[in-house]
Amino acid sequence: MAAILNPSTSGAEVSLHPANHKTIFVIDHSPEFGAQRESVIEFDFNKTRTPGFIPLAPVAKSCWTSSVECAIEYCRIVWDLFPTGKLIRFIVSDHKAQVLNSWNPSQQSVAHMSNALALIGIPPPPAPDPVFVSSVDHGLQEAVSAMCECTDQQHEKRTSLNDNVVPVVNRCRVICITYGMNKDKVVEMGTKMQNELYLGNKFAASSDLLIPVDHCELVIISIGNLLVESIPNYEVSNILSVEMHSVKTNGGLANKFTSLILKHYNLASTTVTGIPMKEEQNASSSANYDVEMFHPAKAHETLFKGSSVDLEQIKTLKEGFEYYTVILKWSTPRGCTASEMHNCTAMHRITPVDVNSRPSSCLINFLIGGRSVMLEVVRRGGVKSLSHLMASHAGQIYMHSLAIGRSPHEDPPSISEGTGGRVTDYRITDFGNFMMQNRLYPMKGSRIHGTTLKRTKPRLDRHTKFWPMTISSTVIFNYKQYLDPILKIMLQPELRESDVVQCKQCIFSLIGNEAKHEPLHILNSGQRGKGTKVSREEQYKQLWSELEAFLRAHCITDKHINVLNCLLEVRSRDASDSLDKVDVDMALRELDQLNAKVERASVIRATTDSPLSPDAKFHSSQSKTILELWVSKFCKQKPRPEFAGLATAQALGGGRFKAKLYPLFKERPPNASKGGGKGPSRQPIIEG
Amino acid sequence: MPTVILIETTYSMNSSVRKYNVEPYKPLPSAVSGLCTLLDQIGHSSRLEFVCLVTYSNQLEVLVQFTRDLEMIKTELLNIRLTDKFNLIEAMKSVEKLILMEWGSGIPCNVVLVVQDNYVNLNSRLLPFSFPGNLFICSLGPEVMRDPVPSHPMNENNPQFHVHLLQPEVPVMSHGIVQMFAKLGEKHYCSWTGNLACGNLNSKITLSPNPEPSFKVTDFDYATYTVDNNLEICGFIELKHLGSPAAVSRHLVLPYTHPSHGKAHAAQRSAHSSGDVDDEPLDEGHTPSFCVLLHGALKVENMAALCQVGNNWYGVLFSWADSKKKSNLMLSLLEPGRDSIPWLGDLNALHIPSEPPPEEDAFPVKPPDKKSYSQNGVVWIRQGGIQSDIQKILRHARKIPEKTQQFYKELNRVRRAAICVGFLSLIDGLAAILDRECTLLPSSTHPACAIQLTHAAQALRDSLSKDHKYIIAPMKMSF
Repeated sequence: MAAILNPSTSGAEVSLHPANHKTIFVIDHSPEFGAQRESVIEFDFNKTRTPGFIPLAPVAKSCWTSSVECAIEYCRIVWDLFPTGKLIRFIVSDHKAQVLNSWNPSQQSVAHMSNALALIGIPPPPAPDPVFVSSVDHGLQEAVSAMCECTDQQHEKRTSLNDNVVPVVNRCRVICITYGMNKDKVVEMGTKMQNELYLGNKFAASSDLLIPVDHCELVIISIGNLLVESIPNYEVSNILSVEMHSVKTNGGLANKFTSLILKHYNLASTTVTGIPMKEEQNASSSANYDVEMFHPAKAHETLFKGSSVDLEQIKTLKEGFEYYTVILKWSTPRGCTASEMHNCTAMHRITPVDVNSRPSSCLINFLIGGRSVMLEVVRRGGVKSLSHLMASHAGQIYMHSLAIGRSPHEDPPSISEGTGGRVTDYRITDFGNFMMQNRLYPMKGSRIHGTTLKRTKPRLDRHTKFWPMTISSTVIFNYKQYLDPILKIMLQPELRESDVVQCKQCIFSLIGNEAKHEPLHILNSGQRGKGTKVSREEQYKQLWSELEAFLRAHCITDKHINVLNCLLEVRSRDASDSLDKVDVDMALRELDQLNAKVERASVIRATTDSPLSPDAKFHSSQSKTILELWVSKFCKQKPRPEFAGLATAQALGGGRFKAKLYPLFKERPPNASKGGGKGPSRQPIIEG
Repeated sequence: MPTVILIETTYSMNSSVRKYNVEPYKPLPSAVSGLCTLLDQIGHSSRLEFVCLVTYSNQLEVLVQFTRDLEMIKTELLNIRLTDKFNLIEAMKSVEKLILMEWGSGIPCNVVLVVQDNYVNLNSRLLPFSFPGNLFICSLGPEVMRDPVPSHPMNENNPQFHVHLLQPEVPVMSHGIVQMFAKLGEKHYCSWTGNLACGNLNSKITLSPNPEPSFKVTDFDYATYTVDNNLEICGFIELKHLGSPAAVSRHLVLPYTHPSHGKAHAAQRSAHSSGDVDDEPLDEGHTPSFCVLLHGALKVENMAALCQVGNNWYGVLFSWADSKKKSNLMLSLLEPGRDSIPWLGDLNALHIPSEPPPEEDAFPVKPPDKKSYSQNGVVWIRQGGIQSDIQKILRHARKIPEKTQQFYKELNRVRRAAICVGFLSLIDGLAAILDRECTLLPSSTHPACAIQLTHAAQALRDSLSKDHKYIIAPMKMSF
């Protein structure tokens, strides 16, 4: 792993601490920069040239306007593709530097930038008295201070007391947009920057809050009417590298920025070709359009690694630009693909290159509307494969890369060939209901402790405590129409008094049925049980014994036990009175009484045993102290969450607990990739 | 994982080697019997494995294409023709190409390299291969081999690829060579067995292919994640909410079948049968398995089960059918981490509420930020952007008074954007366009149109209009 930690400028996308975590734009705000024309826009695009036509003068865009537009577009693409962790700051520089935003995520949005730029306004008119010299140097100096400020992530990692945390390497990139640079000026700027970095780092080293710069990549972009020789990346020192790109006015800047952003964030371009679109006015005819988009280059990995695709065939140099785009064909969507699990190896966000063009917005609307589309690639030998799936999730558009190679799962054995495969009476429908009752949902609130499993396991445990897998191995679940309330209610962690009554009523009504010699009917006659010819007595015998097992499995609170006791009581009476048959009247009378004494019904024969292994009958005759009753009634199941300290406490045995004070002081918020898993146990067990 | 066996077939492979006064051995026959042992081991533990046998003289010769019929490979091993040369570097390049052509770069593959040389010179530009997996260099020579590749720097490019150097115990004898292959089989081809649990229901399972540890680098961290032996289901999700998340690998979930004894491992631990004891011995197919139950229900309900497969690592279980309609339980291992499916939110922050929440609190989890493509932002980098924005204003202008509100909304949007990027000449230009539009209006136009256009043009020229907070309002008219 050591190799990964070493700073390396190549392959930045795979290594830790990439420079693109912190990018700073330093934009020239000098009068000269505002006065220079970057491009002239023909304003007269009105097609109808009627007589009396007044021609309009074209409007000019200044270098300032173009620079700001390009920088904003750079931000737009970055933030569309990377919702977090790729931060950009703006500094404008005239006779002094002005910082437009901080590293705080709330200030990392195009809207924030636009507002700040509107407040800054256009570069000032040339001052008659040049006391204050306008220069980007002020901006670069300020950029060094900005680089030394920690981002949230850097701060979190640096202050983490966890030994396993990888030490933070503070790599940054500064993109300086100005004019009239040449080789000498670049060297001079590099030297100045080096000195600033030296001073900045010295200051940062003496501060707890600041972080020294480990490496800074200074990208200078110089706009001019004439091109000068660009300077490729060179190392000024081990902490500073400099490069200079000379761009021509009239579009050179935008072009260069596109190349740079692809390189800085390791992006690639895909052009979806042959998208059929209809004109609103003319719905009968449709024409094919192309839409180009940017996305992380990894989305192409399945095409590029593995040589089944002829790259030369699908890759073309984008006209007028310095980069390649991969052409993939729109494959008209068939049916609904949303509920299918595609063999997807990677997924990446995309953003259209020309976000407001009509074909782009048409494609976007199609996807945001909930439909998805496959993209097709022609492989060597002319075979067409579906290589990508485009779909939107929660309003964000993703490109899913699909596996196009051979699958190691081909010709698999059917699940019916293995263990349990020949069993034909699984309780599939019941398990389906179980799954529906145990669907996952997102939690609300920001403070999340522990893992999903820790949260859901008690419930899943409870629901599966007594769960025969086949129809032939159960009776009670086949007689749902008689037992439904019990089978559902007993799964709840807490019972209300009315729940207990409902369960008891259910038991009594069955007892009544038995006494009246009513046979039990299986609800779904289509399903077959095992011993098909079972006598009525046998039916009831099986039912009672399985019901008892079911109730015993669910003795978690006194109220649950109460239901079990009810069953045991009526059954034992039943057994002793067997010669006299069952006293139906008595059962029914009891039923009436029960409703009358709902409130008192919870005067219980409690147990101090573990609630999982009660023998309620045995304890029922024993007398209890008040304390025992109190403990058993109120201390077993906590109806409200534990105090935070107790919930996170470690059990020391003997009923003692140790809670750590200020747990967050040591354990910073759990880190995104390695934390969790060792969350606190929610319910300490009180030893009785 | 698919395996390529690359075996050197030079004449010297079949001549006797003797050193240290032990019994002489012939490398090729020893290797062949060792490979047969290895193939037996593979067939025994993972019968769905593909193996391919290749050799190299002037070019790569594929003796047996990727197959699950391991007997075929054994037969072919016995019929190997010897040649006079072997070019390791070229052979390795061809093997990499072969694997990429067949499986692509995403599926882990093993390469078993069987060579006689006691010194294998593999330059670091050749390695690592661009697919995950292992290279086992099995040396047959009598000398102790030096490490052919410094193993550290290569990991930067492909941390999921490992090189292993294997050699028989010294002094080398035929038996030792067979042992070497047997050890390789035991260590790297034993099948993964574990437990799949949902609450108290569980099933002993194997996964095919074996799950591999996953190495993940983020901007601030890196970690290796391993699959636990106990895969626990956290809850269930409808497939339509799940989308098709990216998976680092996919595995068939097969109920575990013990090679020797039959039904002892009955999958169900807690389900109590109601008392009718079945005296007849049941074969494995007739012993209920939770795997099969789960598969059936997932298939019928179009749902998936989210399961925790390791620390901060999740997987998804669902029913999958290949083209031949044979249905199976599949486990997709997601990207390690808790945020591998953004539209489900933090995977550590899910729960099962007692009542299903209202629609708006369910999936998908809405991200806080809105993307540029759903925001109607202004981008004028290309001329077309400005043109279409201005044409939109003019379209609305001609339909005043019906479209008065839209006209001013668009006008203010463009004006505001122009202020942000310091494109003030556009605002004056816009005023000129509106003035001209006034002169071009056909006589049938509503009189309000000309009045509003003139009002708007004046407002644009006003110095107040250069304030980005200012909003140009329609002129109030009484008709």
